Amino acid sequence: MELKAQPGMAGTGVLQRIGGRLGYATDQQHIPGLLHGAILRSRYAHARLLRVDTTRARSMPGVRAVVTAQDVPGVNRFGIVVRDQPVLCENRVRYEGDAIAAVAADSPEQARAALEVIDVDYAPLPVVADADTAEQMSPLHGESNLVARDTFTRGDSEAAFARCAVIVEHHYQTPRQMHAFMETEGGVAIPDNNGGVVFRVGCQSGHRDAEQLADILGLKSTQVTVEATPTGGAFGGKDEMTIQPVAGILALQTGLPVLVHLDRFESCRAGIKRHPVSVVMTTGCDSQGRILAHRVDALLDTGAYASLGPAVLENFLDHATAPLYRIEAYSVSGRLVYTNNGVSGAFRGFGGNQATFAVESQLDALAEKLTMCPLEFRRINLRTADEPGSRGQPVRWTAPPTDVLAAAAASPLWVPAGAAARRRWLTGTGMAMGAQGNGLGDGLPDSGGGRVSLTAEGRILLEFGFADYGQNLAEAITCLVCEGLGCTASDIDVVLGDSRGPDSGPTSASRSSVLVHGVLANTLPRWKDLVRGQAASLTNLPPEELDCGPGGLFHNSRQILSYQELAEKGQLAPMVVDASQAFPVAPDQDQPVGRYLQLQIATVARVAVDRLTGRVRVTDLHHITAAGRVIYPPGYLGQIEGAAIMGLGMTLTEDMPTREGRYLADNLDQYMIPTIHDAPDQRVDVLDNTPKTDSFPVRGIGELGIEAVAPAICSAIEAATSIRVQRLPVDPGYLLSALCAQEKKRS
Amino acid sequence: MTRNTQPEPCTPETATFELNGDVISHWVSPATTLLDILRDAGRIISARAGCRIGRCGACTVLLNGQAVPGCLVMAWQLSDCRVETVEGLTEDPDFIRVKEALATESALQCGYCTPGIAVSLVSGLRQHRCGEAVDLEEAVAGNLCRCTGYGGLKRAVDALKETSSET
Amino acid sequence: MSAPISELNFVSARRAVRVLRPDSPSQAVSLARQCRASYTAGGTWLQPAYERDQCWPENLVALNASWPGFWGLEDGSNGLTVGAMTSLAEMARHPLVRDYLPPLAKFLNLVAGPGVRALGTVGGNLIVGGDLSALAMALDVRVDVVGHAGVRTLPLSQWLRERTSEDLLRGFTIPDCRGWRMSLEKLGYRERFSPTRATLACVHDGYRLRLAVCGEGGLLRLAATEAFLNGWAALAPDDFGAVLDCELVDHGWQDTHVRMALRRMTTGLLSEVALGT
Repeated sequence: MELKAQPGMAGTGVLQRIGGRLGYATDQQHIPGLLHGAILRSRYAHARLLRVDTTRARSMPGVRAVVTAQDVPGVNRFGIVVRDQPVLCENRVRYEGDAIAAVAADSPEQARAALEVIDVDYAPLPVVADADTAEQMSPLHGESNLVARDTFTRGDSEAAFARCAVIVEHHYQTPRQMHAFMETEGGVAIPDNNGGVVFRVGCQSGHRDAEQLADILGLKSTQVTVEATPTGGAFGGKDEMTIQPVAGILALQTGLPVLVHLDRFESCRAGIKRHPVSVVMTTGCDSQGRILAHRVDALLDTGAYASLGPAVLENFLDHATAPLYRIEAYSVSGRLVYTNNGVSGAFRGFGGNQATFAVESQLDALAEKLTMCPLEFRRINLRTADEPGSRGQPVRWTAPPTDVLAAAAASPLWVPAGAAARRRWLTGTGMAMGAQGNGLGDGLPDSGGGRVSLTAEGRILLEFGFADYGQNLAEAITCLVCEGLGCTASDIDVVLGDSRGPDSGPTSASRSSVLVHGVLANTLPRWKDLVRGQAASLTNLPPEELDCGPGGLFHNSRQILSYQELAEKGQLAPMVVDASQAFPVAPDQDQPVGRYLQLQIATVARVAVDRLTGRVRVTDLHHITAAGRVIYPPGYLGQIEGAAIMGLGMTLTEDMPTREGRYLADNLDQYMIPTIHDAPDQRVDVLDNTPKTDSFPVRGIGELGIEAVAPAICSAIEAATSIRVQRLPVDPGYLLSALCAQEKKRS
Repeated sequence: MTRNTQPEPCTPETATFELNGDVISHWVSPATTLLDILRDAGRIISARAGCRIGRCGACTVLLNGQAVPGCLVMAWQLSDCRVETVEGLTEDPDFIRVKEALATESALQCGYCTPGIAVSLVSGLRQHRCGEAVDLEEAVAGNLCRCTGYGGLKRAVDALKETSSET
Repeated sequence: MSAPISELNFVSARRAVRVLRPDSPSQAVSLARQCRASYTAGGTWLQPAYERDQCWPENLVALNASWPGFWGLEDGSNGLTVGAMTSLAEMARHPLVRDYLPPLAKFLNLVAGPGVRALGTVGGNLIVGGDLSALAMALDVRVDVVGHAGVRTLPLSQWLRERTSEDLLRGFTIPDCRGWRMSLEKLGYRERFSPTRATLACVHDGYRLRLAVCGEGGLLRLAATEAFLNGWAALAPDDFGAVLDCELVDHGWQDTHVRMALRRMTTGLLSEVALGT
């Protein structure tokens, strides 16, 4: 069923955003007394810090504070998984974006001018520039540059390989992609009158950041507040803390609010990136096309600090076990290493889409060797909805994978494009499938809460700790509340991302919608009862005859009390319901493995390859999604479309290569993200068989759209040219050489 | 090549120009960007520094009716100029149409790039009304968006084209 | 253009940049000499470079579009004269451009985004070896340059070889090319505005073919390839490939794939200007 665009929900700030009336984290430049902070970053990818002399900087005009490592009041380390990254480096710098010192001054120019006169002596150290050889080089941390390694096995893969009729082995590489959110990292730290600090910064997890900041600033957790602040995009790039620690230290030192805003050059240099992956996959099947054996050996470059690398590795390996397909035996291994190549961390897809690119390409390779239709090959191997997942764990799909495949096979994109296009442009259609699990997985603590209450003004207030970075979460919450209570959107206020409110956990891992749905399913009926009870005592009507509706409480289809009246005349304190729940995991699992709630996508891509230059244009994308109920259609459509174009960028034009630890691109004129003309027309279909009574009818679809785009595009390129690309982004020169070679052979 | 890292600021001069209908005067050094003047003295937040090199469109404003990147216009160029941002276009009929199309088609998610897009579209509609052949999709070719994948924006552009051809 | 890098003084902040506003082109040239200043027109190429390096010239000399000859299009007996300060957007819209340079308006959409086209000038684009310089070379454009000794007119190719630091480009004249067949193609990184890998211009003036390229390997009139094609027009166009490749390699075009693409793009453009069909 095609998801057609529907009118967007008015309110929730859409009109303000268009009209420039909504301030984002970095639009706060008019706070009275505001100082501007700037950060001095390492000139070397790897060096010992011998001396940092800030004497001259302190006497520069407008400078109010200059801080280095010794000015960090508490712990000089942060990091979500491993706290290995210094706020300000002490005696060693490990990548070119490493922070060494910071200045707060009256103006940004004065702050930058002060940075120029901070004297730093470095003793350069050998750069760990290649993930391949990192483990043989001197460790950047601890004993070794191996951060993590893991292997998942099933059965005896070697024995299974021996029985294969066909085996394919390829080396795949995916790029170091940059988030390129339009609002770069930044925000304000404001000291309060009690020695604490309030943060209004673009981020993804206010509660978690507040805890780390308390440790860094040497404060009690109650003294640190992260306030909800509209953020211009995140996609995982603001999951770790960015400028908060430095801004907080400067704010405490000066007693004044401090704004730190990285410009795009600095964001490119210092911000985290997607893990580049180098993986060899060996996959074999029998003569009927059943996959018997699968071996994966992957290397992920996490750069100078671990960040969420270990979790990305786990998710990569999870996806590398080919969740959608039945494989008799596998051995899936990966290593995560430190290098001096920037820092890699969370990025939409989180290792999964890199693995899916390789897995889906392997399936196509096997199908090709067997001269079998790639769709048929998949059909033979797809798991049914009743089978356990690829790691033997219970899983919950919302539609049978073969149905998704069938819908992809029926896509109009398979009909070849007109003959006229063929002279210069070679066209082809291809497809791939992908799956994703929601939640942090593997038994990690994963829970979240929310709150419903009535304000003094009669507004129904929903509070969740998730951050709002443009993912239409507020609209989805509004839809669910309207459905659950029978009120309208104009009765509701949604507050997201305040650390003083409920802790919902991080806004990542596509977990928000699921938790929101679960928490609301729990809280709304209880809240309704409380409200009806109060309304009953105010109106002397039996509570069971009252119901919530648009604008207020209703009796026999007539409104008898507005929400404002209820707030004025009733008691507000009891009309608050908090609930928290654990992210759904499979029942009866002592040691949860993988993720329980699963979703799928099939992407069909049509491309045109320029015979003359090797450049690729994607002309159409058709996605079939099986991701539960659609709560807010424009939001669902937007998430799939947006993620897909991010995947398209990763496939065709985006990379942040390094040479000796130095990034080779430093702004958006060198790092190419898709423009409107690079984006194809997209169609999104929804396949959902979930019964209404299902306990988990909803899935988080924030990342799903990126999952299968890369292999679908490469499959289409192969259909157009007979050339398979294993390295992303697709190099037009590579395609061109191969095309020329083909032409030579033919003539 | 020598680079003076502690130069004397150049003597500021008055940059006087019309901003959203009001004349503003500001003391700035002549190479200061229009973007910085707008965000500082102009109290504008809709024009934003997405890249500072004119390659992302987040700072797009109207300069004498044309959509330009504010980060590439310098103070010395502003005398007798007319600058418009979305803050000042609330009553503008072209902006009202654009706003409605963008909202209805959910052409934004985080919305950070949206004012710049709206300005580009207003410029396109104005040119169209003056009889110029304008491709509205081309008008926003220089506005980067990272959230939406441009789906909603393409639908908004189609909606604007339809209503344009009716007028 | 402006003083060679080694002669300019630089500063590390925008607020220190002095912008000199001369009343006339000759005053501009004097100031450029005296103050070792850089000219500025649209600033759409230079400002990104300054921002990137956090490094601005201490002095900028502001050019003025109202100086006679510096702006606008005019056709006359010599052909079409274009003022250097005409913006790329104005070029795209101008009716004379439709007559003289039919593929240009559409091509300009690939050169820069619409906002940059509104500010950036054709002169600026030529001076930095931008996408327009290939076409200008192929058309044997003549430039009007204001120097300390006054105005002189000379072929673009000669000026680019000989220019001094204070030379100020006033405008250029394209010969009467109405009716000539011309085709342009840019190889970039994505569908719209991106750095140029290579831009190719192919022009047939009724008598002979003209070819020029600009981009990663620099600006080059492909004289040897032209000679080959013009002298041996009877041969299939594909045979010129080796000649073209040699010429590109000799002039510093190192990337094999870009050269491969250029060979094929040339074949494509040649057939468009009717050597083939």
